[in-house]
Amino acid sequence: MRFEALYLHIPFCKSKCAYCDFDSRAMGEGCALDEAVATYCDALAAQIDAHGRAGDLAEVQTVYIGGGTPSLLGVRLVELVRRVLGYCDPVEFTCEANPESFTAELARSLRAAGVTRVSLGVQSLQADELRVIGRIHSVEQALEAVALAKGAGFSTSCDLMCGLPGQTFDAWRDTLKRVLLADPDHVSVYPLQLEEGTPLERLEAAGKIEVPDEDFQAQCMDIAAELLHAHSYERYEVASYAKPGHRCQHNIAYWTGVPYLGIGRSAASMCAATGDVSLLLENTFDGTPDSESDGTSDGAAGRSSANSSTARIRFTQLDDAGEEFDHEFLTPREAMAEDLMLACRMTDGIGPELLARAIRVVPANELSAACDRAVERKLAAWDNGTLKPTHLGWLGGNKLFGIFWDLAADA
Amino acid sequence: MNTFDTSHIRNFSIVAHIDHGKSTISDRILELTRTVEERDMESQLLDTMDIERERGITIKSNAVRVMYDADDGETYQFNLIDTPGHVDFTYEVSRSLAACEGAVLVVDATQGVEAQTVSNASLAMNADLDIVPAINKIDLPSAHPEEVKVEIEDELAIPADDAVCVSGKTGEGIHDLLEAIVFLVSPPTGSADKPLKALILDSYFDEYRGVVATVRIFDGHVKKGDHLLMMQGGEEFLVDGVGVRRPAEFAVDALGVGEVGFVVTGLKDPEAVHVGDTLTLVNNPCDAPLAGYREAKPMVYTGLFPIDNKDYENLRDALEKLHVNDPSLIWEPETSAALGFGFRVGFLGLLHMEVVKERLEREFDLALIATSPSVDYHVYKTDGEMLEVRSPQDLPDVTRIDHIEEPYLKAKIITPPEYTGAVMQLAIEHRGITTDMIHLSQKSVEMHFDIPLAELILDFFDQLKSRTKGYASLDYEFSDYRVSELVKLDILLSGDEVDALSFIVHKDKAYGLARGLCDKLKEIIPRQLFEVPIQGAIGNKIIARSTVKARRKDVLAKCYGGDISRKRKLLEKQKEGKKRMKAIGSVEVPQEAFLAILKVED
Repeated sequence: MRFEALYLHIPFCKSKCAYCDFDSRAMGEGCALDEAVATYCDALAAQIDAHGRAGDLAEVQTVYIGGGTPSLLGVRLVELVRRVLGYCDPVEFTCEANPESFTAELARSLRAAGVTRVSLGVQSLQADELRVIGRIHSVEQALEAVALAKGAGFSTSCDLMCGLPGQTFDAWRDTLKRVLLADPDHVSVYPLQLEEGTPLERLEAAGKIEVPDEDFQAQCMDIAAELLHAHSYERYEVASYAKPGHRCQHNIAYWTGVPYLGIGRSAASMCAATGDVSLLLENTFDGTPDSESDGTSDGAAGRSSANSSTARIRFTQLDDAGEEFDHEFLTPREAMAEDLMLACRMTDGIGPELLARAIRVVPANELSAACDRAVERKLAAWDNGTLKPTHLGWLGGNKLFGIFWDLAADA
Repeated sequence: MNTFDTSHIRNFSIVAHIDHGKSTISDRILELTRTVEERDMESQLLDTMDIERERGITIKSNAVRVMYDADDGETYQFNLIDTPGHVDFTYEVSRSLAACEGAVLVVDATQGVEAQTVSNASLAMNADLDIVPAINKIDLPSAHPEEVKVEIEDELAIPADDAVCVSGKTGEGIHDLLEAIVFLVSPPTGSADKPLKALILDSYFDEYRGVVATVRIFDGHVKKGDHLLMMQGGEEFLVDGVGVRRPAEFAVDALGVGEVGFVVTGLKDPEAVHVGDTLTLVNNPCDAPLAGYREAKPMVYTGLFPIDNKDYENLRDALEKLHVNDPSLIWEPETSAALGFGFRVGFLGLLHMEVVKERLEREFDLALIATSPSVDYHVYKTDGEMLEVRSPQDLPDVTRIDHIEEPYLKAKIITPPEYTGAVMQLAIEHRGITTDMIHLSQKSVEMHFDIPLAELILDFFDQLKSRTKGYASLDYEFSDYRVSELVKLDILLSGDEVDALSFIVHKDKAYGLARGLCDKLKEIIPRQLFEVPIQGAIGNKIIARSTVKARRKDVLAKCYGGDISRKRKLLEKQKEGKKRMKAIGSVEVPQEAFLAILKVED
């Protein structure tokens, strides 16, 4: 199996943020962080080698190391980068970093090792907001990190959050303006999601904090779109804005059905459900996945044509060592519906090429009815043969996605 | 050929006000007579429907044979017919009573005589039955059986010296009750030598055996292979089998004079068998059919629409199957611009409506929308023609209406004296007129009202219970039609009239209800991606409004590798929720919106 995108998960943080339900272990000062990290990194390295030797990584175009806090790993992160690059020659290599652990030395080493892009967890540039969501860096550290990344020659991205407890429109505008001054190449804007079991959710349930409602979040998303657009950032996905040439190719892979491999605990992989899958996962499953595909992979033709007319498998690593997986199968039709649904997240929308592929899997009348419904509800509009999300489609995405996911099963 | 000496047969019903403990007493009787072994006991054995057990109510009558070894050394055959206690199902009670010689009148020792006790007692007396009074729940600390005896004598004019004190819960007194039944209830009369004459008191449809009829034999006998005739329906059939319920079905060789049991007709058309009809032999018919019973007349009408229009035919089939043992159910096709094809269905009351809707959804796996309940209005047009209007949609244009009449009830409420003020207030709010007030005893007052049926079918009963801390009880019967100033209130969503939300209301209440309904709908209709104005209107005049604000954001911003499955599951969940919604124009409206009128507080 050949993958075109590779993800490595680093499930460690210095301390866990109040909103976070990601797979990450927080390691306070003085804990046995080093030992745990070492063991984990060894396991990652072993898996990278196994896949690399099997030739799984030869066609990897994008690599993304996320977390957790990858920058916490320091020199070990640099080693991982080098190891990966021993098996592939990607056009884009992203590392996530948190301001407090993104040092000048680390920046230099990563750049030298071959990392091309850094995604910084800035979240907010208001001290009180950072405190309430449990971030351990200051406003100044965040701004310094952006400058450092840019100075080191990375394509630099900032993650921002809106709808934070106590946030006002003015504060949000202020955060945006200061980010714009720092001038990153890419900005992601995420509305806060209160996840079950997180400290923030418990505080909110107990009435200790007040979290702005969805209307506030919507307004924030609109403010961000407006300000970023005015500064020549283009919105290419619901939450993603980039200057020309700085779209995140790795994330685009997720939204276009490109086969990806995720290594590390809780990392997800997706590929065509062909015979190779059982080889790839060797002892993971009792038998060969029940493939409904024709066995051919048109993914080989290039990154733009994904395996959407075949059945797919998605598997999630459950342990550190890469021995236990959760998996699900998607019929060709489900895979197609997923591609259509994900395409609706992007400005590029559902283009003629995707439609042409869809029509081979989904009955034409159902496909056109879904498009009509999206247009009729003003969630999308035609633009030169491409169905693109409207403003309503951006904010009410779930409705739009639902229309296309409904194509997964017979009407 | 007779299977049992009639002198040793006792056919009786147990009647009571709702919650006075009929079903529990039935259970104890089955247990004490070893009809059902203790280990097989399930509480409320005779309530076979899930809905009955869940709600603790009896909806359908159920006939069970019990063999009782009496103190006199003889064995008696008891045929016990459990009956519903809710006012909606009075007709079921009278059906059951027609098959009996006696009735056990159960009165709760803590509650005393209540409205349905009175009406059930009078039904039993009118049917000329021997009445065995039983005072139940004597195990409770608040029981006051001696006072209840006085109430039974004073309020019902039934001698209560012999009243048996029982506890359905502990089983105390059940043996005495069985002895009392032997002595107080007359054995059936009738001749084994005459041709078969049997009353169909109930029936149900069985996928494999066709219609199965519960019968009471008045003369003659019936056995497998007999060629029978239904005297009113005219249908003939060969008996596939006969049996009794104990309470599991039990085949017998024959059912003889005086006995109660079931006949397997083999008929596949649910409509072929009519409850109340008389069965006899084709070749040797009896002289005349039994009186049968007056068919219960539906009082409440509502539109039932399948959420998925493809289920229309399934809904029709389901209604036909339910109709077999629920002849009071009537329906006609109805079309709604908003809801598509459905039926306007007539019910005996709101509980009946809820029960039928629930049975249709559970037993036939249908997802249904019920619209605001309506009554049968008599609309007199300017040209003199009278229309029976059961759906707001059928109301002619105002300019063509001369006047409208609506059905009135005679309602009877029994309440402790301290709540008479509250009851009167409630009645006034519902356009009721107090006609009489009788002090039954120190503890209870019987109040009579004339009240429009339309007022009673909304939240009247719940209100009565809450305002009298549950003490008051209600009974009613149809009285007459009276002229009323009625108007049609329309509801508009996003400016479009939704026919299924319209209803007919008294002009004085239109404004209050319109406001209440607009507010209620605002709570019920989820926020959409656009603003939804809700308006209440009479004709072209908007009299109330509210707005469901637009939902500005409905999107999960993060969606990378592992999030994609989660995202899809979220959409699946969203889709499940949508199945319970009806799209009206572009607005997604949940089922309960169509019954919002029931939840509006004045």
